[in-house]
Amino acid sequence: MPKKINDKTIFSLLEVTNSIKKTLEERYKSAFWIKAEMNKLNHYSHSGHCFPELVEKRDGKIIAQIKSTIWRDDYQNINRNFLRILKEPLKDGIKILFLAKIAFDPAFGLSLQIIDIDPQYTLGDLENEKRETIKKLQLEGLYDKNKKLQLAFLPQRIAIISVETSKGFGDFKDVIDKNAWNYKFFYLLFPSILQGDKAVPGIIGQLERIKKVLHHFDAVAIIRGGGGDLGLSCYNNYELAKAITLFPIPVITGIGHVTNETVCEMIAHTNAITPTKLAEYLIQKFHDFSVPIQKAKEKIADKSRRLLSEENTKLESELKLFRSITVSILNTNENRIKNASYAIKQQSQFIVKNNQEKLNVLQAKTRIATKFNLNQLKVAVIQLREKLELQPILYLKNSEHALENIEKNIQIMDPINVLKRGFSITYSNGKVVKDISLLEEGAAINTVLFNGTIDSTITKINE
Amino acid sequence: MNKMEEELNYTNAFEELQTIVTDIEQGEISVDELSEKVKRATALIKFCKLKLTTTEEDVNAILKELEN
Repeated sequence: MPKKINDKTIFSLLEVTNSIKKTLEERYKSAFWIKAEMNKLNHYSHSGHCFPELVEKRDGKIIAQIKSTIWRDDYQNINRNFLRILKEPLKDGIKILFLAKIAFDPAFGLSLQIIDIDPQYTLGDLENEKRETIKKLQLEGLYDKNKKLQLAFLPQRIAIISVETSKGFGDFKDVIDKNAWNYKFFYLLFPSILQGDKAVPGIIGQLERIKKVLHHFDAVAIIRGGGGDLGLSCYNNYELAKAITLFPIPVITGIGHVTNETVCEMIAHTNAITPTKLAEYLIQKFHDFSVPIQKAKEKIADKSRRLLSEENTKLESELKLFRSITVSILNTNENRIKNASYAIKQQSQFIVKNNQEKLNVLQAKTRIATKFNLNQLKVAVIQLREKLELQPILYLKNSEHALENIEKNIQIMDPINVLKRGFSITYSNGKVVKDISLLEEGAAINTVLFNGTIDSTITKINE
Repeated sequence: MNKMEEELNYTNAFEELQTIVTDIEQGEISVDELSEKVKRATALIKFCKLKLTTTEEDVNAILKELEN
């Protein structure tokens, strides 16, 4: 009860708070549906109770604020509904539509006791966030930045954002490390929480680290899986989506859930959906490279063989042609030779025969001519013999007559007869003098006459 | 590492290989060139296959770079 001291009515604090409590309870008898932003959930796992901070903002400024409570049983019901409908637990930073009673406790003051939260309202809000993120990225021209990057021809070096122990990462490694084609990948894990609100700074932080060693990698793979479909609304976060789309090398996602595609998956270079499919996608890239090489090998072998065989066939047909031409030339010439030799034989036989006949004719002619000639010669011989028999007699007579003439001449020529006719012969030193120039005055000369010799000396020479 | 491998990366090795295949397919290669081309193609195939089954990245080197 209040006390009166010095005309003042004084209440104890409990009296006041009890009064407020009474007034409020009378004024607010039923529960209300209220919409607000839940800044912090403040879930205490030990007690199981939550003490959410509720605010209303206008233009980014808090214009209303109140504490609230969710008792353990209510929290469990609400959270179960959230997980069922949103695939998200109740968490910080979402807009909620909740049923609450105004509660006032003398010790703890005014608060809203939250009895129920409508998950559909929050779902709509999350969808709104997703739409907003997409719209913003599109407006800024960032939506397909990462998609436009050219994935390496052979995406062999992968920076992986995942959790070492997660089933998704295990699935990925299984496919990659045990591939039947012996394809070799290089991957390095950059660990990060992959769901819930902490995933946003976690993944962004690892992307920043990867940037420092970017030249070692062909792509980034965000791999999650095995954690159920919960806590994935972080992948609709604008900051995370922006970090991914602006990343300088392709980002591939294998977040592994079946409900609506998140913004990060939409703007990623490739969304392989599950970790296993992501691994298969990379292996397929290797196939895309390997299969044409294998085909090239076969094609080259096949075409080379065919080319050689074609050339061989060409050569053989040339050879055949050559052979047939040469055989035909040989045949032609052999025939010519045969014909020629036949002709020569024929011709020569004819010539021989012809000449034989001519010879025969000549022989006959010769025989006749010879006979005729012999007869003529016989006549001539007879005539000659007659002449020969006559000729010596004539010759002897002529000779006798000549001899007689010679005898007469010789008798006339005798020097005695000349000397008798008054001529003389002069000698000098035993030789007949025929040239006066050989004589000298005073020399002795002998003059022979018909009947004696005169010796004289030359007194004078007259030339 | 021989000279060919220094100049090659798998993209241009692959492209060169495709060019050789196309040339051979279209009959633009004579028997005189064939041996040389097949030799080159074999080397390219070997190089590409090696690329598929090996990697030169070193975890320690990357971790060192991350620390700096």
